[in-house]
Order: sequence, then C-alpha cells, then structure tokens
Amino acid sequence: MTLPSSISTRLGQHGYLAVGGAILLGLLFVFVFVRGGYLLTVMQLAMIYGVFCIGLNFFMGYTGQASFGQNAFAALGGYGTAVLCVQYGWEPILALFASMAISGVASVVVGYPTLRLRGHYLAMATFALGLITYDISVQWQSVTQGYMGYSGIPPLGIGPFTVEDERWKLVVLMVIVLFGLWISGRLRNSRFGRALRAISTSELGASALGIRISHYKLAAFVIAALYASAAGSLFAHVVGFISPEVFGAQMVIVTFTMLYVGGVGTVLGPAIGAVIASLLPEIVRSTGRFQDIAYALVLILLLIYVPKGLSALFGIGRPRPAKTTNPGS
Amino acid sequence: MPSVVELVQSLVNGVGIGLVYGLIAIGFCVIYNASGIVNFAQGVFVMLGGMFAYSFLVTLKWPLALAAAASIIVVAGIGVLVQIFIIRPMWERKAPMFAIILATLAVQLLIEQIVILTMGDQPRTYPEFTLGGPLKLGPIAIGYQLFWVLGCGALMVVLLQLFFNKTRVGRALRACSQNREAAALLGIPVGGMLMLSFALSAGLGAAAGILITPTQYTAYSVGAPFGVNGFISAIIGGFGSAPAALAGGILLGVVQSAAIVVFGAGYKNVIALTVLLIVLLFFPKGLFGGLAKKH
Repeated sequence: MTLPSSISTRLGQHGYLAVGGAILLGLLFVFVFVRGGYLLTVMQLAMIYGVFCIGLNFFMGYTGQASFGQNAFAALGGYGTAVLCVQYGWEPILALFASMAISGVASVVVGYPTLRLRGHYLAMATFALGLITYDISVQWQSVTQGYMGYSGIPPLGIGPFTVEDERWKLVVLMVIVLFGLWISGRLRNSRFGRALRAISTSELGASALGIRISHYKLAAFVIAALYASAAGSLFAHVVGFISPEVFGAQMVIVTFTMLYVGGVGTVLGPAIGAVIASLLPEIVRSTGRFQDIAYALVLILLLIYVPKGLSALFGIGRPRPAKTTNPGS
Repeated sequence: MPSVVELVQSLVNGVGIGLVYGLIAIGFCVIYNASGIVNFAQGVFVMLGGMFAYSFLVTLKWPLALAAAASIIVVAGIGVLVQIFIIRPMWERKAPMFAIILATLAVQLLIEQIVILTMGDQPRTYPEFTLGGPLKLGPIAIGYQLFWVLGCGALMVVLLQLFFNKTRVGRALRACSQNREAAALLGIPVGGMLMLSFALSAGLGAAAGILITPTQYTAYSVGAPFGVNGFISAIIGGFGSAPAALAGGILLGVVQSAAIVVFGAGYKNVIALTVLLIVLLFFPKGLFGGLAKKH
C-alpha cells in the first residue's frame, strides 16, 4: 500500500512555523551557552544522539527498513576509541576514523546476509545484533574491562589542540551535527537518496526502475553504522567514560523516541527530536523515578497518534510519507 | 572438556528451561497467527506471572493452585489491556509493522518500571511445588520442579491442540490466521479474536513464569531475556503449530545449557542469538517448516 506523495518543495504555509522553530532553537542554544553548567552536558549528549539518529534515519526513514540494533555499531565505535586511545595512545581523531572504518567493515559483513530478511525477521535479527554486542562487551573483559568500563578517555582533539572546555565541546559537536545534517540533506536529494526513498515506497516498483535493492539497502545500513560509530566515539571522548550500559537496549528506545519525536524520514527531524527528547526528561526531572515511564508513555502516544513524528505535524523539514507496511505482510 | 555427566546434567536442565521457552514461543505464535503482530513484550508476562504468584503465595499466603490460577487470570487481563489501549488503536490506524514492535518494546519498559515502583527491584523466589528432592539417578540430579514443568507443559500443549482443533472459538482463531478478511466475512469477530489471542498468550506466559520461578528467581528485568529466547524458539519452530514451537524451545534450551557447560554462563545469550542468526539465514521458514505461512 502506498500513500500519495505530498512532497512540497516550498516551505509553504508552514514556513513561518519552521522559521519560528529555528529561532526558538537558536535562542535555546544561546540560553544554554550563557547558563552553562548541567544543561551544557544535556545538550552535548543531545548532539551525540543527534548524530546517531541522523544515521539511523538513512536506514529507517529514507529506506524504510527497521533496525533495532544500531547500538551495536555505537558500541563498536565507543570501544574502538577507548581501546585505541587508552591502551595504544592513539590520536583521538585517528581513533575515531579507525573505529568508523571497523564499524563500516563490520556492518557490511553483518548486513550482507542479514538484510535479506524482512519484516519481523529483520527486526529480530538486528535486535539480536545489539544484544550480542552488549553481552560481548560485558563478557570479553580482557578487551572491554566488562562492567567496569573504560575511564580516562582523552578529549577530542587534533595534535596539540584539544577541546577541554565544556562550551567548546558543545560547539564542536554542533558543527559535527550540522555537517552530518548537510550530508544527509545532500544525499537525500541525490540520485542515491531518491533510490532509497523509492525502495521505501515500493520495493517492487524500485526494482522495476532498475534499482538494485540489496545494494542500496546495504549502503544505507553502512551509512547508519558509520554515523552510529561516530556517535559512540564522540560519546567516549566527550564524557571520558564508557561502559556496556551506555550502549544497551535502553539506547534503542531512546533513539527511536528521538526519531519519532522529530519525524522519521525528514532531514532535520532526527536532530530536532534529539534536542527535544533530551530536554523533556530534564523538564520533568522533579518526577524522579517516573522519568522512564514518561519516556515510554510519550513514545507510545506518539506512535499511536503522530506516527510520522512531530515535525511532520508542523510541516518542518518537508515531510514525506513514511513507509507503510501492512502488519500482516 | 566437560565430562559426560556434566553434559547429561546440562541436557536435563536444558529440557526444563527449554519447555518454558517453548511455552513463551507458543504465546508468540498465538498472537502472530491471529494478527501478524509480534509482541516483543511477551517476556514481561512471564515476569508478571512470577511476580503475582509470589505476591499471592508468599505475601497473601494463598494456596498454590489458587495463587497460580489468580496470577494467570490477572496477567491475561493485563494482556487484554495492552491490546485494547495500545495495539488496537495502532492496528486500526494501520500503523507500520516496526512502529507496533517499537510500541510493544515501550510497553515492556513501561511495565518493568511500574513493577520497580510498586514491588521494588529485589529478586524473589518461592519454594518448589513439591518439596524435597532432587531425584538422584546415579550422579545426575533432577529437581522435582522439572517434573512439574514437564507435566504442566505437556498438559497445556495438549489442551491448546484440543482448543485449536475441536472448539468453535479455536477454529475461528485459526481461520483468522489463515485469512482475516474471509474470516470476517464468515461472521467471525476478528477484533475479539485479537483480544482473545492476547489474553491467551499472556496467560501462557504467566504460566511459564509461575512454573520456572522456583528453579531460579524473578525480578523486574527477567522478562527481556525470556522474551528474546521465546521468540528465538518460535523462529526455530517456524511460527507454525504449538508442538513445533515447543520443539524449538526445547532445542534452544538444550543447546544453551550445553553452551553454558562449554563456554561459561556469561555467553549463554550470545550462543542463543547466534543460533537465531544461523536459523534465520539458512532456514528462514524455521527448522520444522512454517506450517501456518502468512501470505
């Protein structure tokens, strides 16, 4: 079943809302910069999750496939960075790219057979990948130090220049997110991106147009893995500590909430969702233990009533029809 | 290398835990065959079964049979609530498949957190149904609870087979699994059948949880591993009939127990998930054939 495509190339009547949202976001960042303190950390994490979600959006949003195991690649990135920097004294930036390369290769090796699966089977297989990675990161203590995790991971930097100041860290992360968004926006409207979106609308139709489905799915999966790996490395550098819990199944729920809050398949959605979903728990912090309950409830309500995400509701970032799979197929 | 005794002992333990996986797997199949939905929160019903049984049995000091029946009914009711408030609205809006999976994962998180808030995060257990034991066969020990698991598991499978093959309601459920539109045209209330399938699979999960808790423990977090292993069993069995799912569960339980002996307890989930990936890649229809294939 396909939805009518309602892609508008102009900002249209929602343009003012989009501009207003952008101004609001800008004001938020100014506020965070002036205020400093704990909010800076929250926004840093939001940016890191943003990188992760932008990548996930390639696979879930543009291509319309389900992966519940991208946290595996974030773990690979985080542990790659931690081991290379702490044990072998590598340059942070080199370690980041090396981990991304490892994740890329791993995602090809894992994705090539796995992506032949569809529907529930694909969902479960990818979910299994995340769980396997979690268990290995707990058990393989000689490399990962088990539950103890790694501490003392050096901050991000190139050569003698390191980013130690919390405000500068946020600036660097924002630049990285913007760069990630730029790539995402450019690729979305390229021949490659149009092919991905064709697959999400109809695999049969796409293959009739001469698109090699398996290659494009794999490419989207690898891109998502690269982003996830970068997010994992950034987390390690910014926080300076990683443990298996960081990349656990909770990460799947959190990132999906972000993606759905922002809007699946839109360019800006993942980043907006990451910011909103990171700030929400801080606002309702007074509720303490109810935080996870609130997260789950918000996600369920969104999934039922606004399945394309909040930004689709407001028309931000050119919404496009999300993938519709009949639950029975 | 582990000795033969260790391997045989692990085989015995594996059959016990595998039966429980099998019961959970049947729960997955019941919902999947009625609706095409995979309820990833299935494991939570297992946890709830153990939790409620503990409350009724230990805190309220009810007799065993009453406590077990009461927990099964309560958990089945929770399954119906999940279906009414979360699954049905999404179902009616034709939500995409992965959105429903995600919602069931969120349900799992939600219920786990509510359990922490109301009952705490301490692991609990209660005594085996028949005290004494274990039965000694030479160097191999068999706990009495294993016989309870075997007996109740077999009984439930037989009852389910009778239900699906002999009763009108069971046949209606099977009709839904084959072709929902045709079933609706024949006057079968498809929505009601979906609700029934949730009640049934939640009750099955609760029964599994009540049976297994004395041999290990129950805590808010045990649901996810049980759910994943049950789903793996269902995939190995091929989402077909109840006996196939049960066989898949026993196979997984035995492989897992053997893996614990060989590789150590820490890797048991890694092994189970690797089995899953292998089966998915080479036998996408399951080892025992997808008898109830979806079209």
